[in-house]
Amino acid sequence: MLEIHRRTGYLLLATLVAQVILISAQVRTSAGTRVLQAVTFGVFSQVQLGTAWVFGGGRSVWDGYFGLRGAHVENLQLRQSLAQVQVKLLEQHAQALRAAQLEKILDLRERTPLRTVAATVIAGDATGIFRTLTIDKGSSSGLRKDMAVIAPSGVVGRIVEPPPLYAAKVQLLIDREAAAGAIVERSGVGGVVVGSDRDSELPLDLQFVSNLSDAKVGDRLVTSGLDSIFPRGITIGTLSLVEKGVGLYKRIGVTPAVDFAEVGAVLVVLDPPQLTGPSPAGGAFATRPPAPTRPTAPAAGAATTPAAPTAPLQPGGRPSGAAGPAAPRPAPARPTPAPATPPASPTPPAQTPPAQTKPAQPPPAQTPPAQTPRPPTAQPATASPAPPGRPR
Amino acid sequence: MKGALVGALVIAALALQTSPFFGRNGAGIDLVLVVVVWAALQFGPASGLLTGAAAGLAQDVLSAGTIGVGGVAKTLVGFGAGVVGSQFIVANAMTRFVVLAVGAALNELVFLGLYAVIERRGFDMPWRQAGARALATAVVGIALMVASNAIPAFLMRRRLRRGY
Repeated sequence: MLEIHRRTGYLLLATLVAQVILISAQVRTSAGTRVLQAVTFGVFSQVQLGTAWVFGGGRSVWDGYFGLRGAHVENLQLRQSLAQVQVKLLEQHAQALRAAQLEKILDLRERTPLRTVAATVIAGDATGIFRTLTIDKGSSSGLRKDMAVIAPSGVVGRIVEPPPLYAAKVQLLIDREAAAGAIVERSGVGGVVVGSDRDSELPLDLQFVSNLSDAKVGDRLVTSGLDSIFPRGITIGTLSLVEKGVGLYKRIGVTPAVDFAEVGAVLVVLDPPQLTGPSPAGGAFATRPPAPTRPTAPAAGAATTPAAPTAPLQPGGRPSGAAGPAAPRPAPARPTPAPATPPASPTPPAQTPPAQTKPAQPPPAQTPPAQTPRPPTAQPATASPAPPGRPR
Repeated sequence: MKGALVGALVIAALALQTSPFFGRNGAGIDLVLVVVVWAALQFGPASGLLTGAAAGLAQDVLSAGTIGVGGVAKTLVGFGAGVVGSQFIVANAMTRFVVLAVGAALNELVFLGLYAVIERRGFDMPWRQAGARALATAVVGIALMVASNAIPAFLMRRRLRRGY
């Protein structure tokens, strides 16, 4: 009794709680249930909630940590599957691109009168220094050194080195060792387009164009055919920079028509260029032959660029005097009468033989069967040997 | 002994209160509450709250109401009276009357308040009747307490007179 007196507060609390519980057991809520049941259920539901939280947390910990032993293997399998799917997706994408390129190539092949061989790019340059590609056609398909390689949008490059049976190395036009004879389609001004060494700037330069010549930004640049490699009238690019040079020549930058990063299928031109024949038709070719219609065609360009003949040309290479050039010396660098010949002017019989339009069977004395006899004007350039120490 | 006395008093109070002598409604006087307050003043808060709890529960059981409501009310009254009796001098009749009146009012307040909560009918209570009942209980209670103190003294004086 004495202890109870000391704990009167607890006793009061216990008594009141007991009676409240007693009351709750009799009183019903508005929902019809007894308050004791409702309170007990409410309180116990909180206990259940806490229990569920504890067990849920434990299960979560189990599932998140201990149960993940199999997830690692599953994750690896899924990653592997994802990688395979991604590879397949890339393959499908590449096939789609290749199909589109082949469609273009086929379309170009149907439109051009040139005898061509379709090839697929199978590799890029191994060193990264030179701009070359490897295609899947070689000498077994009639490919020879110095054959032009084109794409639906324009000039790609030429074959360098005698190709093996089933592959060939193509030097891109943007290679710093490459060059091609070119003329401005609008004015007929001729020059030499060379690969630029400056990667950050325009990848092509048009050289040996006099400051007095008519060349504007936006003019389309096409091949002149005077280099004996590229057929006449194939689009090279667009003049993007025309400035008056320090010396006699303009400083002209060219944006190539071909996206060399996306080249996947190409055509190798088996026919050598015809200097006086009809211009090839097609999207990549000029709509009109520059030489016959423009009196100021390469000859005029050469005439307005008096320094061209005296340019320090290397044998068969670029006139810059750098390491051996890849493309033969173009016509504007040499005073050749053939390009300047008006349409009415007589053409040397050797330049317009029937075999040039369909040069399937050149004379036995000629070089490769797929190539036609080269014009005399271009012969020195193509016949120029590569200098010693040339990278290719 | 103390518990038995208090129990007997509670039973007697219940018997009187529910007897036809006081009418069907007990004449509006809560004799059980008087016993609870007296026990609390005499024996302290613990005895007061226990007496109140037991007496209130007994009243609830005997009535038609919710069991525990009267018990809670009388528990609080018994505890409060016990605390007051242990902290203050409540020997004279006027002080005890005040304690009885406040206790009766508290009992009515808690009792009706709990029912208001349980039945969810608000506090629209017969406060005037409750006040009158509390006052009547206090008056009867103080009379009984004074009489309970006077009777032993009278018996003592009578015994002493016979001895001389």
